[in-house]
Amino acid sequence: MPASIEARNLGKRFGEVHAVQEVSFEVHPGEIVGLLGPNGAGKTTTLRMLAGLLAPTAGEAFINQHSVQKEPLVARRALGFLTGDMDLYRRLTPVELLTYFGQLYEVPRPELRRRIDELVEAFGIGDFKDKHCEKLSTGQKQRVSIARTLVHDPAVVVLDEPTTGLDIMASEFILQFIRRMARENGKAVIFSTHHLDEVERLCDRVVIIHKGRLQHHGDIDSALAATNQARLADAFFEMVQF
Amino acid sequence: MRDKRTLYLVILLPFFLYPALFFLIGKVGQSQAGKMQQEKVTVLIDPALEQTPVPGLIGSDPSFVVKVQAFDSQALTEEKNTIGIRVDGNYAAGLAANESVILRITGDFSKDLLDGRKQSITGLLNKLNQSLLEERLQGVKLPPTFAQPLLIQEEDLAKPSQRIGKVLGTYAPMLLMLFIFTGCIYIAIDITAGEKERRTLQTLFTTPVNVREIIAGKFLAVACVGLASALMNLFSLVFAVLLQAKIMGGNVSAISLAVSAQGWVWMITLIVLSTVFLAALSMAVSLLANSYKESQSYVSPLMMLVLIPAVMAQMPGMELTMTTALVPVLNICLAIGAIFKGTFSLPAMVLVVFFALLYGLLALYLASHIFGNENVVTGEKVNWKLLRGRG
Ligand SMILES: Nc1ncnc2c1ncn2[C@@H]1O[C@H](COP(=O)(O)OP(=O)(O)OP(=O)(O)O)[C@@H](O)[C@H]1O
Ligand SMILES: [Mg+2]
Repeated sequence: MPASIEARNLGKRFGEVHAVQEVSFEVHPGEIVGLLGPNGAGKTTTLRMLAGLLAPTAGEAFINQHSVQKEPLVARRALGFLTGDMDLYRRLTPVELLTYFGQLYEVPRPELRRRIDELVEAFGIGDFKDKHCEKLSTGQKQRVSIARTLVHDPAVVVLDEPTTGLDIMASEFILQFIRRMARENGKAVIFSTHHLDEVERLCDRVVIIHKGRLQHHGDIDSALAATNQARLADAFFEMVQF
Repeated sequence: MRDKRTLYLVILLPFFLYPALFFLIGKVGQSQAGKMQQEKVTVLIDPALEQTPVPGLIGSDPSFVVKVQAFDSQALTEEKNTIGIRVDGNYAAGLAANESVILRITGDFSKDLLDGRKQSITGLLNKLNQSLLEERLQGVKLPPTFAQPLLIQEEDLAKPSQRIGKVLGTYAPMLLMLFIFTGCIYIAIDITAGEKERRTLQTLFTTPVNVREIIAGKFLAVACVGLASALMNLFSLVFAVLLQAKIMGGNVSAISLAVSAQGWVWMITLIVLSTVFLAALSMAVSLLANSYKESQSYVSPLMMLVLIPAVMAQMPGMELTMTTALVPVLNICLAIGAIFKGTFSLPAMVLVVFFALLYGLLALYLASHIFGNENVVTGEKVNWKLLRGRG
């Protein structure tokens, strides 16, 4: 099966700083991949290159076999992307916001309406769907944000630390949703996180980067085997210890 | 756009501003003038002038209190509202010898009140001078016209419309630039630095919308508000000036602007072009900031940059030439001024429109270039090195 996401020797330099170097991995439909790495490892930078927000200084990224660099609009159409430094329009209600972005993705009207109803239902947005986004709690905002990334029913979902700042209940809700997206709707999902337990529970494979370089790409067992450890946390520490 | 307050501020305010401003200035001016008339001023007249017509003459103006007494010039400045008059030598003897008798008016004329009164005293004394002159001429049997070989009279052929055109032509361009700029800059800040601060810009860039379209959308929003602000101001200003002319007692039916239909078309074209320029410039600059606060600090320098050429255009003798047509803002101000004054020529207009268009497009290019910068996309500080590297 062709990969839904492919990073091919991605590299990014900011002036003298090599934020990402020679990072390659693939994510297939229905698969969940966790992106791990300490602070400043280059996770956000890598994901931004997948979304076409940053131009790689080396290598290339593909979404559904479309080069993000050469066919940005086609690639973005198939992509739902969320990072922690994106906020919602404060003066819009969740439904207005979803409608606005649905229109930007040119989702046909009747389909958009149905889609929004589904998302409002699935994310339990109904209780606050007429409130301005600025009045929502962190967890409510995050639910709306993720619903926003899915409004055009993308085949590929890229989430940067989707559970950061949420309580256990809210995180759990989002994790369950990620699982359903992959297992039931066959989406390819990659998400970065600092919570190793999320990765252990959810992910088919992990990508571990450190100082911009790929340390590991494979399933969890292979990560344990490679470091001779019994727990992912210990394997992780060993890989990023230099 | 979601902020209605900004809209009111930019569009509705100017509509009422000028008439209100003119009215207020008129009122304050009037009451100030009234106060100046009523205030009593003491005039100390040197006893050497007691037997002359001077005390009576000054006393004929009820706003003066005349006292004949010796005074010291230095002490005079200590007294409140006091002016002194003294004579050099002997008044009667001087006159009898056909000499010029020197009268000195003393006082602290840095004070507006005393300076004004000095002028009324001079006026009164001039009348006396005139009648003394006539007496002298009569004494030698000469007609009063003897002392005035030439009588100069002027006749202003300018129509009231031309006079109003001159006023508007001088001040309207600068005000227009100011209001286009203020109209643009606050919206520009809101949808660039403001969106960066609210962290909503990045999301937009992940959608399958072309960067060009995003820029175009934002630019149009900025330009529309700037243009609306400018047009509201133009109409309000013209209206206020006409109203003022009417209040001042002009013949209103005769008062119409000497701007032809063609002139209006050029003027609107120029306003649109300067809006393009200023909107793009506002966006380019506010994109460099990451927050409202930071962008606020760019407003004043930018405003100076816009206003200096606009003020230069007001200087007397400043005209549209090949050189001035090259300077952004200055060229448009001069052209709009010429339209109001009814002195514009077709080649000059074409030249200015050409350069204004050029500068507008350059500014637009600059703005979109900055907008395409990765750091703007990810909502971070614009990096000058990267900006140049990608140029
Ligand atoms: N726009 C930028 N300009 C310059 N350097 C940058 C820029 N963005 C990121 N970096 C640098 O690149 C490196 C990787 O940053 P990145 O944000 O990708 O890390 P991260 O893995 O997401 O970290 P965290 O876990 O803290 O979110 C860091 O050293 C960072 O300072
Ligand atoms: Mg990060």
